[in-house]
Amino acid sequence: MLKSKGRSRFIFLCVAPAVILFTVFMVVPTLNVFRMSLFERGAYSPTETFVGLSNFEVLFQDAKFIRSMQNTILLIVVVTIITFFFALSFAAILTREKIKGQDFFRVIFYIPNILSIVVISGIFSAIYKPENGMLNTLLSFFAGDTVQVLWKDAKLVMVSVIIAMVWQAIGYYMVMYMASMSAVSLSLYESASLDGAGRLTQFFQITIPLIWTNIRTTLTFFIISNINMAFLFVKAMTSGGPGGASEVALSFMYNQKDAGLYGYSMAAGVVIFLFSFALSALVNRATKRTPLEY
Amino acid sequence: MKKTIALLLVLVLALGMLAGCGGSNDTAEAPAADSGETAETPAAEISVAAIETAYGSEMWQQVAEAFTAETGIKVNLTTDKNLEDVIGPAMQGGEFPDVIHLATGREAGLTEQFIKDKNIADITDVLSMTVPGEDVTVADKIAGGFTETSLTNPYGDGKTYLAPMFYSPCGLFYNAGLFAEKGWEVPTTWDEMWELGDKAMEEGIYLFTYPTTGYFDAFLYALMYTVGGPEFFDAATHYEDGIWDTEEAKECFDIIAKLATYTNPITPAQANDQDFTQNQQLVLDNKALFMPNGTWIVGEMAEAPRAEGFQWGMTALPAATEGGDCYSYTWFEQAWIPAGAENIDAAKQFIAFLYSDTACEIFAAAGAIQPVLGIADTLEGDNQMFYSIYDDGAKAAMGNFASYTAVAGLGTVREVFMDPVNSLVNGEITEEQWIENIKTASAQMLANIQS
Repeated sequence: MLKSKGRSRFIFLCVAPAVILFTVFMVVPTLNVFRMSLFERGAYSPTETFVGLSNFEVLFQDAKFIRSMQNTILLIVVVTIITFFFALSFAAILTREKIKGQDFFRVIFYIPNILSIVVISGIFSAIYKPENGMLNTLLSFFAGDTVQVLWKDAKLVMVSVIIAMVWQAIGYYMVMYMASMSAVSLSLYESASLDGAGRLTQFFQITIPLIWTNIRTTLTFFIISNINMAFLFVKAMTSGGPGGASEVALSFMYNQKDAGLYGYSMAAGVVIFLFSFALSALVNRATKRTPLEY
Repeated sequence: MKKTIALLLVLVLALGMLAGCGGSNDTAEAPAADSGETAETPAAEISVAAIETAYGSEMWQQVAEAFTAETGIKVNLTTDKNLEDVIGPAMQGGEFPDVIHLATGREAGLTEQFIKDKNIADITDVLSMTVPGEDVTVADKIAGGFTETSLTNPYGDGKTYLAPMFYSPCGLFYNAGLFAEKGWEVPTTWDEMWELGDKAMEEGIYLFTYPTTGYFDAFLYALMYTVGGPEFFDAATHYEDGIWDTEEAKECFDIIAKLATYTNPITPAQANDQDFTQNQQLVLDNKALFMPNGTWIVGEMAEAPRAEGFQWGMTALPAATEGGDCYSYTWFEQAWIPAGAENIDAAKQFIAFLYSDTACEIFAAAGAIQPVLGIADTLEGDNQMFYSIYDDGAKAAMGNFASYTAVAGLGTVREVFMDPVNSLVNGEITEEQWIENIKTASAQMLANIQS
């Protein structure tokens, strides 16, 4: 009895710092976001006025907000699909096939992940430069004529952001999948190939089902982080321009704060919070499978 | 035994955390105690936060030291290129620096927010204060007009809230060497401008580019002056009813829309904070003739490669008609005291000191020119040419759009008036759509104007 009491006290003390920190730095600010979305105030002003739900009413009619949400959703869908396609294929090739310099490729693919977003945006600024940029020079070489594609202009700016985001994310997820793929027992592949299954069938019938739990977790994780990454990329690469063409949800929220509309910006924050929450619940549900064991 | 050690460790951790919290309480109380004392004795220390721009931060260090030597008040100096990010969080927590040097028109709009919130201390009495170490008043030193604009008196009530700092004539910058080589004249009217644009295009040079749309503020203000004079400027910047339907407004819009067709088409793709120097590079490389900018451009692009024979030139905005007035917008920065500052009296002394001969010399050495009388005579090099623009016939344009209470969904002046220029250049919107949006927004701005 005495022993178990001491034990629970010990557990309590162990858990307390984390719980307190979590409450102070996560729960309280989150609740505060919800509260402030009902007020109108500047970021530095001492006074605030209660405005009820009017911030939300304006928000859902704000063309800029709708455009930024569209861009956010576009990024989530496209970047996720492309990244996962490449990450899974590269991981499968690097673990299953015998390629010279595997470790070299693994390091090369992983490097973008160590770079800060500001460095990446600097790199891509050089790549996308209209005159003498790497990409346009390359295109001109193949076209045999001077090509001047404006990668960061309104029409292509989202494509440019997508390319940069995919480039940055592939390595990290590839390494994650490589780890779980190499845990799949080789004997399964051997017996499958004896049964006449080709490489692709093996990939879809053995590899994917067996690493499904991993895919599922990373997918949820990726979608949430994508919302944040999109903000960093847009902020560093395009400042949301030209003419708001590359504005995403979080950069919209950030700009509203700078325009002195703290409450309005918090209302956008609430919508983004609920959106990402709902989205991850949805993904979690849609990807639910009975875990395979062997 | 192990358990006891673990328990002890946890306790230490927990204590550490409590101590951490306790610590922050202490610091929260300390300034309060200070402010109690300041009522009787002058503050021994003030905190000054200044933005680090192309002029560097060393000059602030030197001025702070000179101020301490003169008055005995210590200065706790913060300078940073992203000053908003450094002092912002503390200010949200209610801790304000005593003096902030940060101009309006920055993307984070921190100064604008303080103006909108009426969160800035009235410093009208600083004008009648004697400059520390000298026997003249601040008002005697500041050049005429600088303390009568809406940038220093945002509420139009005759009271000064922001002190005018480093001024810079803005205008169109070009390669004077190229003009000499081709035998081109710098246009004095917009008609000549378009003629030159066609002539340059034949040689593969575009007439115009701009670093970012933010640079259109000085351009638009000067344009409004050249087209309609001070009366139109005042009416327009106060969103007067029907002002955007007038002839003058139409002419402003037409000029900008026409200019958009003469703009180097790669400009919008580079008109962001990451790539704007590449747009400035277009002028250095003779791929665009003119760009709106300020005198800081020389220092900003000092290291950049340039076309052979390149030489900086600057001109005021061309006149609307033959023989009309040319205007150059006078851009200046502002220093101000947050209403929540602890040591307002000492802060006012510091601001007064910024206009002393000592401070002006230190600033000028770094290229920052204080708006004090007679300073233009002491300049050398490129600056001498730039700052003499007003002696050469151009009139000075000052002021800005009147401050209005922020309204959800309305957008800032920059978002409404200037950012769409990108879309005009790449053809995303038409001139009519742009004007229509301005009219709608302007009506709302008028309804929320602050006075």
